[in-house]
Amino acid sequence: MFPIDIRPDKLGDEMLDYSRKLGQGMENLINAGEIDTGVTPKDAVYHDDKLTLYRYRRPSDVAQQKVPLLVVYALVNRPYMTDIQENRSTIKGLLGTGQDVYLIDWGYPDQADRSLTLDDYINGYLDGCVDHICDKHGLDRINILGICQGGTFSLMYTALHPSKVQNLVTMVTPVDFKTPDNLLSSWVQNIDVDLAVDTMGNVPGELLNWTFLSLKPFSLTGQKYVNMVDLLDDPDKVKNFLRMEKWIFDSPDQAGETFRQFIKDYYQNNAFMEGTARVGDRPVDLKQITCPVLNIFAQQDHLVPPASSKALNGMTGSEDYTELAFPGGHIGIYVSGKAQKEVTPAIGNWLNERS
Amino acid sequence: MADNTLFGDNWLKLQQQYWEGLTDMSRKAMGLEAPKQNPWEAAMDQWWRAVSPAASDPSRQFMDRLMDQGKAYFATVERFTRGLAGADATGNGWDALNKTFDDMQRAFTDALQGNFGMPGSDPGGAAEDAMHRMLGFWEMPLDNWQRMMSSLSPMMPGDMLRNMPHEQVKESFDRMLSAPGLGYTREEQAQYQDLTRRSLDYQRAFQEYMAFFAKLGVQAVQELRELVQSRAEEGKPIGSARELYDSWVACCETAYAEQVSTPEYARIHGRLVNAQMALKKRMSLMVDETLGALNMPTRSELRTLQDRMQETRRENKRLRRELDGIRRQIGERPAIAASAAAPAAPKKKAVARKKTAVKTGPG
Repeated sequence: MFPIDIRPDKLGDEMLDYSRKLGQGMENLINAGEIDTGVTPKDAVYHDDKLTLYRYRRPSDVAQQKVPLLVVYALVNRPYMTDIQENRSTIKGLLGTGQDVYLIDWGYPDQADRSLTLDDYINGYLDGCVDHICDKHGLDRINILGICQGGTFSLMYTALHPSKVQNLVTMVTPVDFKTPDNLLSSWVQNIDVDLAVDTMGNVPGELLNWTFLSLKPFSLTGQKYVNMVDLLDDPDKVKNFLRMEKWIFDSPDQAGETFRQFIKDYYQNNAFMEGTARVGDRPVDLKQITCPVLNIFAQQDHLVPPASSKALNGMTGSEDYTELAFPGGHIGIYVSGKAQKEVTPAIGNWLNERS
Repeated sequence: MADNTLFGDNWLKLQQQYWEGLTDMSRKAMGLEAPKQNPWEAAMDQWWRAVSPAASDPSRQFMDRLMDQGKAYFATVERFTRGLAGADATGNGWDALNKTFDDMQRAFTDALQGNFGMPGSDPGGAAEDAMHRMLGFWEMPLDNWQRMMSSLSPMMPGDMLRNMPHEQVKESFDRMLSAPGLGYTREEQAQYQDLTRRSLDYQRAFQEYMAFFAKLGVQAVQELRELVQSRAEEGKPIGSARELYDSWVACCETAYAEQVSTPEYARIHGRLVNAQMALKKRMSLMVDETLGALNMPTRSELRTLQDRMQETRRENKRLRRELDGIRRQIGERPAIAASAAAPAAPKKKAVARKKTAVKTGPG
C-alpha cells in the first residue's frame, strides 16, 4: 500500500479550511483584550524589597485549618501559574481543602538585585515570610509547599530551619540534578557560568525562555500554533491559550549571584547528592528535615525528570515520607483538569491529616 | 464565505485557485507546470498587514506566530504535493516519494556545505523554492537563538555574524591578530584585536551549531522515510495534510531529542553560549572604557557599588532580626508583626509560639 493517501480534493478543502479558521479567529484575537491572570482574590500582607507575600481570601463555606500553608514558587517564571484561571487553579483547590494559603511573589529582579545570593533568598526573604506568618498566627511553625526550584529552596530552608516547618510538600522539585534524562543539566555542564554572570550581571529571562523552548523546539515554537488555529473560533479557549502564552514568556531576569550559585552548586556539582550543599556559610544537610514530607512528581516531566525528584526518597531524616506520581507533565500538574481532581485534593488531605 | 469576518475574500479566492491548480496537477497527472510563485504566502502577508494594526500587542505577537507557522505548515504540504504529482505522472509512487526524501536530504547536505537558508543559494525553481520554505521550519531553533541574542546585545543584530565566511580568511586573520600592538595606542589595538578574535570565535561556534542542525535535518528526513515505510507495511496510509505535517514534526522532534542529549551537542551548545558571552563581555569592557573617558559612571563601577550596598543591607537585615529576637525574648512583639491582626487561637496539633531563641545565623 502506498503510504500517503491525501486525496487531492480533500487537500484543497483542508488547506482552505485552515485559512478560513485563521481569518475568522482574528475576530476573537482582537477581542481578547488584556490577558488577566491570577483569579482568586488575595491581599498583599508583607513586602521585602521586590518580594510580595500574598494571603488568599478563604472561601466562606470552608472551615480553615489553623496552620497556614506557604507556597514557594520558583524564581523562574511567575507564580500565577498556580492560579491561572478559574477552573484551573491549584490555589483555589487548596483553599477548598481548608488551607490558609500564602504565596511568595519574588518580583522582577533588576540590575540592582544582581548581588542577591541564595543566602539572601533562603535565609533572608523566605525566612522573613515564614517569620511574618508565624508572628501573625502566633505559631512556631507552618506548612510549606515548594514548587520546582521553589521546592529546592524549600528543602534548603527546611534543612536549615527545621523547627519552623511543620509539614513540607515538594512539587516537581529537582533533587538529583544529574539524572541521565535531564536535558537541561546536560546542556549546562559546558557553560562557563562565571563568564555568563560576570558578563550579563543578571541572567535575562529571554535566555531562559530560549533554553526551555529548545527542549522541544518544533512542537513548542511551531506545531502548537498550527494546532491552535483549530481553537480560534472559541473565545474562551483563545483566552486560555493566551494566558498560558503570557505565562510562558513572562520570565523574570535571574539575580546573577543566585543564578551562579544555583547552576554551579546544583546543576553542575549536584550538591544535594554529593553532600556539598551550602547556603551562605552553613552546610545544608537534608537529614535535618524530620517533618513529614510529601514529594509529588510528574511522570512526563521534561524539565524535572521523575528520577530527579524521586531521589529525595531516603535523603531526609523524615520518618513520614510519601510520594505521589502524577500522570502528566511539568505544567499539567497545575493546570490540567486531572490535576485539579487528583493533585490538589491529595495535598489538602495529606496536610489535614498532619495539622 | 462569511462576509462578517476580517477574512478577505480575495485571499481565499487566490488560495483556492492555487490549491486547486496544485491538486489538479496531482489528480490528472498531466505534468502541468505548477505556478512558480505561491500567491498564498504573499496574500497572507498582505492580509495580515492590513488587519494586524487592529489587534492588541499580545494578540498581534501571537498572530504573528500563527502566521509564521501556518506558512511552515503550508510549505510542508506543498512540498509533498509537488513531489507526489510526479508519482501519478510516472505511475510509480514509490520512486517519486523516495525522490522527495532524497531531495530533502540533499538540501540538508547542501546546508552542511554552507548554503543553508542563504538567500541566492537556490536557483529558483518552484519545487526548490517549496523545498527551502519547508526546510525553513528547521530554522526555528536557530531563529530562536538569534532573536534571543539580539535581545541581549542590541549593538549586535542576531544575524550579524551568521554568514560571514571564516575558513577562507581565518588564517590571515589569525596571523594579523597575533601581531603585537605598537606605540601609543598599543592597548587600544590589543582591545580591537581581542574583539575581532572573539567575533571569529563566536562565528565559528555559530556555524558549528548550524552544521549540527543540518545533520539533524538529514536524520529527521530518514525518520520520516522510515515512518511512511512502516505505515505502508501496516496498511495505514497518511490520509490528510495535517497528519503529514504532524508526522514531520514528530520525526523532527525524535531526531532532535536523540541528538541533543549527546555529549557532542552539549559541547556545541556550551561553546556557542560561551563564545557569545566572551564577545559580549569584550564589547562591554570597551563601552566601559568609553564611558570612563567621558567621565560617566561605568557598569563596573555600578557593580562595585551594588555589591557594597547589598552587603550593607544584608548586615542591616541580620541586625534587625537579632533585635526582633531579643524583643521576643523580653516579651515585646517585634515590629514585623505589630500591624498584624490578633493571632488565631492555635489548633490542637498546631505548635503555638514558644519563646524564640535569638537568631545568630546568617540572614
